[in-house]
Amino acid sequence: MSELIWKGYIVLESGDSVFIQSPFTLNGKIVYGPDSDSTTMSIAGIQYLISKGHKVNSIHLPPAVDGEVVYISTLADSPSRSEELDSNEVIWQVMDGDEATLLLSKQDNNEFDFDASTFTVEIDAELYTEIQKAWLTECSELHVSQGAYVSQAQYREGSSARLNLTSQIHEGKTIWPPRQLDENGIRLAKESKALSGSAQVESWTKLSAAGAPSEFSLRAPILGGIQTLLVRFAEGPRGVFLVCDDEDYSPNIGDSIEFGVRRIYAQEGYIRYGMKAIPIRGQK
Amino acid sequence: MVDVAVIGAGQTKYGNHSLGLKGMWAEAAEKAFSSVDQDFDPRQIDEAFIGSVAFGGAQLGNTAALLTEHSGMQGVGVRRVENACASSGFALRDAWMAIKSGQADIVVAGGIEKMNDLSPERKRFWLGVSGDTEWERLAGLTFPGTYALMARRHFHEHQSTHDDLVHISVKNHMHGFENQHAHLRKQVSFEKAAGGFMVADPLTLYDCCPTSDGASCVILAADHVVRQFTDDPVWVRSSGAGSDRLALHDRPTITQLMATQKAANSAYSAAGITASDVDLAEVHDCFTIAEMIATEDLGFADSGKGGVFAREQQGVLNQGNVCVNPSGGLKSKGHPLGATGTGQAVEVFKQLRGSVEPQRQVRDAEIGITHNVGGSGATCAVHVFGRDKR
Repeated sequence: MSELIWKGYIVLESGDSVFIQSPFTLNGKIVYGPDSDSTTMSIAGIQYLISKGHKVNSIHLPPAVDGEVVYISTLADSPSRSEELDSNEVIWQVMDGDEATLLLSKQDNNEFDFDASTFTVEIDAELYTEIQKAWLTECSELHVSQGAYVSQAQYREGSSARLNLTSQIHEGKTIWPPRQLDENGIRLAKESKALSGSAQVESWTKLSAAGAPSEFSLRAPILGGIQTLLVRFAEGPRGVFLVCDDEDYSPNIGDSIEFGVRRIYAQEGYIRYGMKAIPIRGQK
Repeated sequence: MVDVAVIGAGQTKYGNHSLGLKGMWAEAAEKAFSSVDQDFDPRQIDEAFIGSVAFGGAQLGNTAALLTEHSGMQGVGVRRVENACASSGFALRDAWMAIKSGQADIVVAGGIEKMNDLSPERKRFWLGVSGDTEWERLAGLTFPGTYALMARRHFHEHQSTHDDLVHISVKNHMHGFENQHAHLRKQVSFEKAAGGFMVADPLTLYDCCPTSDGASCVILAADHVVRQFTDDPVWVRSSGAGSDRLALHDRPTITQLMATQKAANSAYSAAGITASDVDLAEVHDCFTIAEMIATEDLGFADSGKGGVFAREQQGVLNQGNVCVNPSGGLKSKGHPLGATGTGQAVEVFKQLRGSVEPQRQVRDAEIGITHNVGGSGATCAVHVFGRDKR
């Protein structure tokens, strides 16, 4: 059995089964970090399986997991999302527990043997409680925009690029985020190829809580501000990303970055997910 | 082709106003009307263009109709012009074009914004509505963050430093101290500006303009009617405009504003001048880094040398070839979004006529420019004004 950090989570692998858990604990209980939930961790788990050569075209998901977001992020469909999917033909399943843990396995596998992880860190109790309270408020249908607003249609239109870094290939150039017409007025092809997810920091800032957009105004004061990186992908395009779950990271221009799906913010009862930057450790 | 002159200009004080939209606009219009040397009747106005972001959503629709009905312009063809912080820079351009086209003789360009009667939370919803909402805002960026990314990259590429930005802040506070219309009339020391509260690393409070209420109004006239109103017009020698991709990450560089370069090149060329001919420049310094980059894009400093320009205090009043932001700029005079562009024109009009406070008068000023940027550089309007027609 091997244990490693993957997309900011702890992964323990045994045979065809993967146990994935949040790295945070509170009083001995495993809990989600400030921008994670069972949807983001399911995505990371499925991406891990795919990285190991497994074909995961479809998967059973627990009710709390957003099947649409999982599908856009990984292309793994689920019976909860697609009625046409024959439940009996779905090989893989995600099972959740009382704590911030998930088990990904084949449906016919009933034997699991995982040791407790040694990589966990104790989260600050006050931070955890305040963040959970903030998310509860944000997820209310009564939590509405009073100004700037990304409509659900606009969010969905860019969701493949946002959740899977899918880019357009136009006249040999990689384009991300997606564009509509080129300078000749010709419509660009749909997004078709995911970026490698390998990028370097070109600039960065940390906004004080007072300077953060209103979408983050409940959580930014708890987190002591929010950190944004401007990065350039190996394929050429640039983008801006929040840093996930990492208060201690001091960025440098040139740092290498990978990405994981996390919660961005919630409004009107609808959680917006997207990629966040994860610093690759051990660099100077 | 018709030539266009400014025959009158006025503005409210920028800052925390007790007046609402109607009151502020009426005050700016009244001051503009009364600044015309000969009798001016607002019923002579053919068209009006009023810039506003309609911050907070107050009178989001038909803004211009509401305002003009309270300033003696009922019946005039009016419209709101929206290009974020460059709204009234583009209102001015539209007004100029209306006269140039021969369709109008007397046109008002103005701007207005009421920003300080919102709760802090509601204000945060509105700050940053002009960036790429879908991609930048979802990455946690409002404009302090966007300009902070530009600043850090400029430091990296050009060996500029935060101290260079501090020089800009100190200069603009010094200029604005004598400006009776300025929002922040206080001088700041280098040490104080260098140690301000961190808003968006590396930008501190002293790198950021305030959110201001205010209105401004400029009256333009065609050359064949100018003499009915004044013997001392200020000529609009040219108008240039440009645009760029909305999101910072979609642009080829984040240490230059292509929209500024395009607008400036177009305006300089049409006016038959170069950057070295400019005596004073009202520059869009929503953040100190914006002024540093603008001094390069407008041709006052070589590319990448905006830090040196600031360090050597070349933009200080009556010290270098060009005075940058004699009004105090957005940093000190204030930044009521929609009013800023025509507010810059009010300053240049008064500077070229020698009618600002004597302590901040640019000596022998013959040519002045305004540089008004929308958001982080998606839109830009540059105007060249002169004592002479050409």
